[in-house]
Amino acid sequence: MISADLNIILPELVLAIFAMAALMWGVFMGKDRQAEPLLFATSVVFVLTAAWVATLPGGERVAFNGAFIDDGFGRFAKVLLLLAAASMLLLSREYLKKFELMKFEFPVLITLAVIGMMMMVSAGDLMALYMGLELQSLALYVVAAFRRDSVRSTEAGLKYFVLGALSSGLLLYGASLVYGYTGTTNFAGISEVIAAEGVGLGLLFGLVFMCTGMAFKISAVPFHMWTPDVYEGSPTPVTAFFATAPKVAAAGLFARVLFEGFAGAVSDWQQILAFLAIGSMYLGSIAAIGQTNIKRLMAYSSIGHMGFALVGLAAGTEEGVQALLIYMAIYVTMNVGVFAFILNMERDGRPVTDIHALGLYSRVRPARALALAILMFSLAGIPPLVGFFGKYYVFLAAVSAGLVPLAVLGVIASVIGAYYYLRIIFLMYFGEEAEAMTGTMPVIHAAFLIVATVAMVLGAAPVINLFGVEAVAADAAAALLN
Amino acid sequence: MTSTAAPATPEQAGIWRVVPALVLAIAAGWFATFLPLIAQGEYAEFVVPWIPSLNIELAFRLDALSLTFALLITGIGAICFLYASTYFRSDPRLKRLLSLLTLFAISMLGLVLADDAITLFVFWEGTTITSFLLVGYDHHKKSARDSALQALLVTGLGGLALLAGLILMGQVAGTYRISEWVQMGGIFRDSGLYLGMLTLVLLGCFTKSAQFPFHFWLPGAMAAPTPVSAYLHSATMVKAGVYLIARLSPALGGTEVWTWTLTLVGATTMIVASIWALKQTDLKLMLAYTTVMALGALVMFLGGDYYYATTGAVTFIIVHALYKATLFLSVGMLDKMAGTREVEALGGLRRAMPLTWGIILLAAASMAGFLPFFGFIGKELKYEGALGVASEPLLVASAAVLANALMVAAAGMVALKPFLGAQRSPKPAPSDPPMTMWIGPALLAVMGLTFGLFPDLIGPTLILPMAEVVYGGPVPVEVKLWAGVNTALKLSIATFLLGFVFYWMLSRIRQSLDKEVPRVADAAEGYEILLQGMKDLAAWTARTIQPGKMTSYLRYTFLLMGVLVWGAILIGTGGIDLELGDVPIFHSAIVAIIAVSTFAIVVTGSRLVAITALGGVGAGLAVIFVLYSAIDVALTQLLVEILVVVFIAVALLKLPRAGTGRLRIGDASISVMLGLGVTFGLMAVMSTPLDRTIPDYFEAVSYSEAFGRNIVNVILVDFRALDTLGEIAVVVIAAVAAVAALRGGGQEVEK
Repeated sequence: MISADLNIILPELVLAIFAMAALMWGVFMGKDRQAEPLLFATSVVFVLTAAWVATLPGGERVAFNGAFIDDGFGRFAKVLLLLAAASMLLLSREYLKKFELMKFEFPVLITLAVIGMMMMVSAGDLMALYMGLELQSLALYVVAAFRRDSVRSTEAGLKYFVLGALSSGLLLYGASLVYGYTGTTNFAGISEVIAAEGVGLGLLFGLVFMCTGMAFKISAVPFHMWTPDVYEGSPTPVTAFFATAPKVAAAGLFARVLFEGFAGAVSDWQQILAFLAIGSMYLGSIAAIGQTNIKRLMAYSSIGHMGFALVGLAAGTEEGVQALLIYMAIYVTMNVGVFAFILNMERDGRPVTDIHALGLYSRVRPARALALAILMFSLAGIPPLVGFFGKYYVFLAAVSAGLVPLAVLGVIASVIGAYYYLRIIFLMYFGEEAEAMTGTMPVIHAAFLIVATVAMVLGAAPVINLFGVEAVAADAAAALLN
Repeated sequence: MTSTAAPATPEQAGIWRVVPALVLAIAAGWFATFLPLIAQGEYAEFVVPWIPSLNIELAFRLDALSLTFALLITGIGAICFLYASTYFRSDPRLKRLLSLLTLFAISMLGLVLADDAITLFVFWEGTTITSFLLVGYDHHKKSARDSALQALLVTGLGGLALLAGLILMGQVAGTYRISEWVQMGGIFRDSGLYLGMLTLVLLGCFTKSAQFPFHFWLPGAMAAPTPVSAYLHSATMVKAGVYLIARLSPALGGTEVWTWTLTLVGATTMIVASIWALKQTDLKLMLAYTTVMALGALVMFLGGDYYYATTGAVTFIIVHALYKATLFLSVGMLDKMAGTREVEALGGLRRAMPLTWGIILLAAASMAGFLPFFGFIGKELKYEGALGVASEPLLVASAAVLANALMVAAAGMVALKPFLGAQRSPKPAPSDPPMTMWIGPALLAVMGLTFGLFPDLIGPTLILPMAEVVYGGPVPVEVKLWAGVNTALKLSIATFLLGFVFYWMLSRIRQSLDKEVPRVADAAEGYEILLQGMKDLAAWTARTIQPGKMTSYLRYTFLLMGVLVWGAILIGTGGIDLELGDVPIFHSAIVAIIAVSTFAIVVTGSRLVAITALGGVGAGLAVIFVLYSAIDVALTQLLVEILVVVFIAVALLKLPRAGTGRLRIGDASISVMLGLGVTFGLMAVMSTPLDRTIPDYFEAVSYSEAFGRNIVNVILVDFRALDTLGEIAVVVIAAVAAVAALRGGGQEVEK
């Protein structure tokens, strides 16, 4: 029944209507004067939608003949990415104003991207998957090049577009092979065919190509090439956005495809994922060492973190999916905090991205330096900060799944990766004194920085127990696998 | 007050300066109340759940081993804090120093009391980080900053290895409670992961306790202020590794690997450190190297797997803490009151600084192991243990004798050189420091004598219970000053004689060391090389993989695709069926046209030719469709092909000329590889049976439901009519946008 179906996708529908209405409103009501209120309105809508999705009744509901699945897993990812997107919008105001980027299209594009992401994590069918993925990607290509007067930003957008289009093509090719050899686009149907007939060569080809496409989106090595350039070139709030919500969506999609569609072929995709994970962890850890641009550094950091998250996925178990979700939640929180800081790295009104500008920052702004130091320790995965538990969960899942070498390699990678996080702390406390950064931090940025930092510190405290994320993630993982 | 220092800022009055010291002293007293309990072999415990789902608890446990360390941490801590509050009384950063020291003391206490492995690790890292901040205390000095970073990297990375080891142990044991681990040694030793966990745990311990080849960070860490060095880098933190080895030895010990690793690493550390110690003229650095030497000795004896060796080691932990902290603090007094720590610049201070001399004499006598000091007992026990170790008594005993003899010489150097002879010092009027500085060291020095005279004070109450905890079984040893004339005593006498010779020939040894052994293999260089290598690797990775050029990204992507496709073909199939069947000559001719056109696109220098040839490829494909009687598809293909040619021609005309038309071997091979891969892949895929569900369905229903015999048409205009409508709409919108964009672009050009 169509009304029942519409009822299930109501949150997405409401957001889509909101996006279109906002677009119309912007066009007909004086364009960019409406941008700032619209920015806030959009973030409020995101937060409300997140609350709504979080309180939806439990259990699994399927719409459109299995093309759209609303279950615990999807809801977890949706809440996470909605909140990440809302935070990013709130953080972006000052930057957009300063560079005269406060255009009403910005929140609208972000909303469209978010709808695409929500589709991705709820997709139960290759069609729905591709639709969500493209809706997200097209919107993101545009926001990457949002600063049109900047060569770097346009270059970033173009690179992202060309490589992204290529990856979409690969994914589509894989999807058509999968369709051809299973006779269905529905994940459940694919899974049934695999259970009955096993994975033939054609299907394996399709799986490989689909994994390639999704690895692009999650920026896993060796399909990560766009990441540092796009992170560096894009406007900083957009970089912050790239580092958070789309990663959640891509990880969710990855898990959805593999566990709903290819649950019977774990041994086939486990190797692919282990390879992606190892490559990402090591490249992320090693290449970041030489970086002096904080945005590029965060790009490598996100590549590395996706590697760790994929370790959880590679486990191929319920425990692994739970670890993935916990990891993503922690990762997003840390990144929101770090970017709240990076957005305020400026001197005389110009943004600073060189990490040496942080030299002896602890003297200038002891509180902020401490907050950033805690976030860096957490990113490095040093206990008792919450970042450690994210890594702990994924490695534990890998070990339980019998992937001991993968876990060991992961630990070594995290040791190497700790170096560049520690270097930032070192610079802030003992570095060469740099010309002081003069940025004043807006209240909202300070609030995000403080909240993220406090969450990292208190999250692992005895009573708080990761804010209950762990149990919710366990339910979500169970929902995906059953 | 006899201070002659010209204060940079007025002295900081206020009782707060001594509060941390007071608190630690009270804590020490509180811990001392547990002594009777511990003497009976009991323990105290405190547990709260932390992360129940992961089985991690905040668990603390007080047994003889942790109590000893707790007493050292709080007792020596109180003394160092009191000392620091005077040493830095004119330094505005005193508050910061004291708060860091307090944080450190808390971390260190947590480390030794923790019974949960993860809790232990958290505190372990806490000590690393506070130590990092304390070493870099003089952060205006580059050397201090570099040392701080070095210490952080070496111990921090070692710490992460330790974490991995602990987690492995936890996974194998199914619990993270160390008190349970020590009772399940067999499980660890029999598990396939034993070597892995042992390596990782020992890496953590060796880096923390400055064992060869990671010993180099400790002398560097002497950039820290003297009270910090005395507290962290001799009495407490560097013993954390030793503590953990001792703690885990019932769980991991008792194997050949364990015994030999500890013995060899400990012995090497001892020897290397003693040579370096003799080379130093800075008293503080010399003490630093003797600390490394002592740590090596501890590791060596803990690996002995013999209860005498264990007792010797645990006794020596206390002995060493007492005398070494005293000596460090005393050298600090020399530095402060006489102006330097260089042994060559000091002499004859016995009249000016009699108290300091007295304290140093007492401590140095214990260090040298003279009767009746506590150091003597420790040394005798060690010798007794050396003669019975599981690995190689001769090796252990001779290494111990040699190291102890050097220790005697070093003790002589610090206790006699600055005080005998003619008086000289950089500061004109040296004198004893104020009481708050000397009282602590004096207390420790006197304790070194008291425990020697009355070993029953500490032997049965602390040392033996501790040895039992570490050894994991009963320890039938008596701690007493005079054990009769035995082999150990003879070794002691040999040690003294050798020591006196060393002392006598010290300057000559030093000269020859400088000359003959100009460069002992130095692990610090290895660290530099490693660090630089990692940076180079990082730069290389970023440069080659990430040059910022689109072409290279695409090149890598296609290369990877090629590898993936070939990988799938080679792994996924047994082989490729190259049987093409019967191919009519006409088909072959068309394929040849397509191939020639493709080749022409690639090699031609002219764009026009390339575009035409591209059209040729498309037209060839259309003909193939015709041959398989799919006229409509062929028509579509042809139309699309024409459009593509037109679009590309339009676009290319606007682009600048690029490329020289040179043959790029790399790119050519990538494209050949990918092309062949896709071809073979398709052939392999085609040879697997097709799922006929969809064709069968449409064959069956296209006429009965949609009244059309052309199935493709029916699909397009009937079954998927809405899709087609959508597609048309999209094309129209795209066209409108394209027109707008092209027009806009034109206007801009005109301007």
